[in-house]
Amino acid sequence: MTRYCMVIDQRRCIGCHSCTVACRTWNDLPMDIVYNPVLTEGVQGEWPNVHRNWTPTLCMHCEKPACVPCCPTGASQQDADGTVWIEYDKCMACLACVNACPYGMRDQSKMQPHLHRFVRKCTFCRDKREMDPDAQPYCVLTCHQKARIFGDLDDPNSEVSKLVNSVETVRLLEDMGTGPQIYYIPDLGGTR
Amino acid sequence: MRRHFWKWPIPTYLFLGGLGGGIFCLIAVLSLCVYPTVEAVPAAMAWPGFLAIVALGFGCLMLVADLGQPMVFYRAFVKSTSVLAWGARLLTVCMIFGLLWFVSYIPWEWFLPVADFFVPFRAFNLAIAGVAGTCIMLYTGIFLSTLKAHAFWATPALPVLFTVSALSTACAAISLSAGWWPAPQGIYSESALLNLLAAEVVHEMVHIVDVILVVCEIVVLLVMVLSFLGAGNKTANRVAHKWVHGSYAFAFWGGMIAMGLVIPELLYIGLPHTVGSTVIAPILVLCGGLLLRFMVVNSDERAPLPGEDLYFKKLPPKDAEFITKWTYGENLF
Repeated sequence: MTRYCMVIDQRRCIGCHSCTVACRTWNDLPMDIVYNPVLTEGVQGEWPNVHRNWTPTLCMHCEKPACVPCCPTGASQQDADGTVWIEYDKCMACLACVNACPYGMRDQSKMQPHLHRFVRKCTFCRDKREMDPDAQPYCVLTCHQKARIFGDLDDPNSEVSKLVNSVETVRLLEDMGTGPQIYYIPDLGGTR
Repeated sequence: MRRHFWKWPIPTYLFLGGLGGGIFCLIAVLSLCVYPTVEAVPAAMAWPGFLAIVALGFGCLMLVADLGQPMVFYRAFVKSTSVLAWGARLLTVCMIFGLLWFVSYIPWEWFLPVADFFVPFRAFNLAIAGVAGTCIMLYTGIFLSTLKAHAFWATPALPVLFTVSALSTACAAISLSAGWWPAPQGIYSESALLNLLAAEVVHEMVHIVDVILVVCEIVVLLVMVLSFLGAGNKTANRVAHKWVHGSYAFAFWGGMIAMGLVIPELLYIGLPHTVGSTVIAPILVLCGGLLLRFMVVNSDERAPLPGEDLYFKKLPPKDAEFITKWTYGENLF
């Protein structure tokens, strides 16, 4: 069974925002929507022992997504491979899913035509994978630091599976119980 | 952090939904359980029933207004597992059966054949509307508490608080409007005198019930907020601080606790059968209920991701409006 996930190596991320730009270009996003903001808490520590790290984010494609059961129209869905996506024709923009997401990774553009509003989010470039099952999301392809690694967690030979099983990884807001499928290799981390 | 996705129509809808549901719940309990043999009691509460239908209808309008695209509201009925979809169905059931119950009391001569047709089904229609109304009261709180991303909403105390508040505001609304048209008016007929008597009985009953409910609401509200203040997680704790001694403190202590609960309670107990307890106190209770929904819905903080606040503060403010003007309003993205 395929279960897509992404490993983000924070040791490699340099905060260039290429993934954000690539995503916006491929998905033709409105100006006020960002699927994968690259967050940073700024410079940490005191000179000369200073350090800065980045947290590239995106929809966590949770194992038990909070945004799917609350959707009254069935627009918010989860594929068997774990991809969480929105069927725009069914969405009525009630924003229940936007409020349900613990990560704030869904939003509705204020620039959309008044009578055709819907909620948007990252889909792991599902439309691209429909054409080619082995296709990688654009944010992964564009990352020149190879900080984003995408693949099938259930395939023991995949890079993500090997990384998740060999390197110390963390997941954001794990206590929410949604089982996020984005694994972070923290900066200043190391092998087990 | 991006917040306040739901604007003013949603808290208004939650208030009106709770109010309408609560009124039908109380009418059903008083008419079918407390005074099942006294015909004048449900007749005296026909006008509050009509107000409940208006409140539910207006609440639905608020929901549709919040969507911004009225023609797609029917999609809310589709999925069986969603709390919101169940809410939409319950609202519809309550309004339809409530309306069928109300029309049986309309005394217009030309309308009598229709009204008479529904008279035998009064108890049935009211029972259905009452059950649906009770579920709506519960649903408004459950709906928010299932969105566990927001620490202040994700508590079992919230449905209890919203239910008690809905019943309390329903008592206030019934107290303000029981005994009006379509119940027989005046003092020159037996039915009109019976209506006066029934209205007085209803007033007394909802007065006593509201005295108890307001005390319960104060207790539940304080338990919820103060427990978050003392033992909630970081996010809920921050919201509780805002309520108790932050930017919401004036609205919480002055508006909700003092004006919305304590003063009405004192008026109910200290000045019975005066304008203070029959008009001012119910109006204050209704305002307090509305304020409660607004404050709760606006307290939608969630646990921030590392650096999230910094990121969204960096984005230029009002960039969407700027781009719209820059592109002469055309959708060029």
